[in-house]
Amino acid sequence: MNCSRVRKTLPLLAGTDLPAGKARRIEKHLEGCSSCRKEVEELRAALAGIRAAAGREALDWPEGEWKGLMARVRSGKPGPRPVPVFGAIPRKAWATGFIIVLALGIAALILRTILSPPAPSLLSETVTATAAQPSRDLMKDEVLSRGYPQDVPFRIRREQGALDRTVLAAGHSPEKTRQDLMSMTLVSQETGLRVHWTFNRNFEWEEKKQ
Amino acid sequence: MDEKEARLVELVLGGRTEAFEPLVTPYRKLLLTLAYRLCRNVEEAKEISQETLMRAFRYLGSFDRKRSFKNWLLQIEMNVWRSLGERAADEGTLRELATRNTLEDPQEQLAGKEAREMLFSCLDGLSPREREVFLLRDIEGRSVKETAGVLRTSAISVRVHLSRARDKIRKLIKERFPDLLEGLR
Repeated sequence: MNCSRVRKTLPLLAGTDLPAGKARRIEKHLEGCSSCRKEVEELRAALAGIRAAAGREALDWPEGEWKGLMARVRSGKPGPRPVPVFGAIPRKAWATGFIIVLALGIAALILRTILSPPAPSLLSETVTATAAQPSRDLMKDEVLSRGYPQDVPFRIRREQGALDRTVLAAGHSPEKTRQDLMSMTLVSQETGLRVHWTFNRNFEWEEKKQ
Repeated sequence: MDEKEARLVELVLGGRTEAFEPLVTPYRKLLLTLAYRLCRNVEEAKEISQETLMRAFRYLGSFDRKRSFKNWLLQIEMNVWRSLGERAADEGTLRELATRNTLEDPQEQLAGKEAREMLFSCLDGLSPREREVFLLRDIEGRSVKETAGVLRTSAISVRVHLSRARDKIRKLIKERFPDLLEGLR
């Protein structure tokens, strides 16, 4: 043991507050080290001096004051200490609980980042500007497939936009009034699910899953 | 807690409040002196001591009979000191060294005054926590474990503060009262 380590323990050794084993090791060092020995002797002398000084004086209540105090004290009522609802849980317990919750939250975030696979990417293929099948009417097909009554209007009416007005002004043309379709297929790499959407020019759409 | 104290506690809780006086009388000097050493003002010490006894009476029902009654009183006093005393001590208005001297012989008086000056000079050099630990362990003779219980802290914390306090006191005495260590040279 070197002197700097021993000196840290000397105040406790001087007051016999070290465990026996450690105290023996320090005492062994002191046998061969005069400077450490001197320091522990100073500590012991200082403590003895302070204790002697403290023993010389003790305050006491004047008898009259003491009797008055006892009378005041007895005018109260003894009982258990009221424990506040939240005060019953020590502050250390609150702090520990908070730290545990915080640590779990951080750990969950880290694990989620590490362990979770990347979001499955979707493959898509897009077919644009496909000429519509003349016999095909998406909304009508859907209504029929769900068994709606025939008299229910199945097409959502909307105000004609600028493009429609231009088309109408140009006069009847089979190419321009013919409905165009756009289809898009998304394939999940993870599950192999294929979702096929078909849109018409009014963005009415049909979905098929395979 | 000894049997006599347990019986007195039962009497007080049973409504015989006059039994409180014999219960706390053995500790009246201890409580007042310790409060005085903490705050170094007689009036303040009386206030702390009085509040300690008031609380002890009020909360006697919650006292755990397995514990030491003396340590319980000390614990209450430390709590009172922390809530009432520290503020006043920090204001630096509390020093009353020569006001209490019950010794009759003039030479003894002088020795007593010097001793008290040394004691308070050393206590002044400690932080509040070091002072509490030092007074309980080295002056009142509580064990490290009991001191930790009174101060509601760990034994490790007590040892750390105690070690610092003793080392500071050694240095203070060496610097201001070298005569005390003269024989060692």
